[in-house]
Amino acid sequence: MTTDYQEEERQVMANLDYDRSVVGVEVEVGHHEVTKEKIIEYAEALGETNPLYLDEEFAKGTPYGGIIAPPLFYNMFSLASGLDPKVNFGTTGFDAGQHAEFFEPVRPGDTIYATSEISSVYAKTGRTGTMVFTVRRTSYRNQNGELTTVVERRNVRRDIRK
Amino acid sequence: MSQLYIEDVDLGDDVGPLLKEPDRAQLDAYVKAWGTTTGRFVSDEAAQAEGFTGVILPGNMSMGLLAQLLTNWVGLEGKVKRLDVDFRRSILPGDKLNCSGIVTDIQIVDEENQVTLDVYIETQKGERALQGTALVVLPNKG
Repeated sequence: MTTDYQEEERQVMANLDYDRSVVGVEVEVGHHEVTKEKIIEYAEALGETNPLYLDEEFAKGTPYGGIIAPPLFYNMFSLASGLDPKVNFGTTGFDAGQHAEFFEPVRPGDTIYATSEISSVYAKTGRTGTMVFTVRRTSYRNQNGELTTVVERRNVRRDIRK
Repeated sequence: MSQLYIEDVDLGDDVGPLLKEPDRAQLDAYVKAWGTTTGRFVSDEAAQAEGFTGVILPGNMSMGLLAQLLTNWVGLEGKVKRLDVDFRRSILPGDKLNCSGIVTDIQIVDEENQVTLDVYIETQKGERALQGTALVVLPNKG
């Protein structure tokens, strides 16, 4: 069975219509100015109760010395979408997951600069058929050039299940 | 807020549950803060055209709830280093969510107390909508 699946994946990738030239090419996708208001708006939308994200007076007394953003705040940044590999497969696409690594905290007043690249395109075959995954890696750095977050977003394309 | 220390943690320990029930107003607030116009998150009609019963929560919003489980657990002196999650099933506003984890590994790496966890969100139907792994760092006592 595994061998059949692997053969199917190989066939799909050999014939897949997409722009191979953009894979591994890193481009700047813009920057985002972080405000305390946006951090609190985000934290409240998630039902956060941690005063580190909500209460400046409390946060001043912590090792951080002030409010910081919750780890997944980078999802709020409005940035360019980056290079598009134009994967032509299936009838629908959706977010399949994220791998996020966290470094320096993000603080109000920071300007976060982002770069993005398509790190891989691959096929995966299972009982329900074949899906094609596109992985986009985005690196976020603050105004001091310090890495804050590196995220790999997995997008999948497939046929709508009958 | 009480601080958790590495000495308090054993293999197999449960983390959570953090029980959440994000409603339509919270979804709308999240979508507004984000600024997305993706139909399935903002419009019932658009979501239904894609085969959903109505608007669904963005995966990154549900993942934010798992991050909340972890930041609550590690406290002010701990740190979340990594979160890797698969979005397996859609979550609807009003779903009752159990955000939980279990400790699968404890190691000292580069003088850091690193704890690895399996994390997931289970809905009221008993389905794991999100599933993944996390790596956090905890301080030593005293």
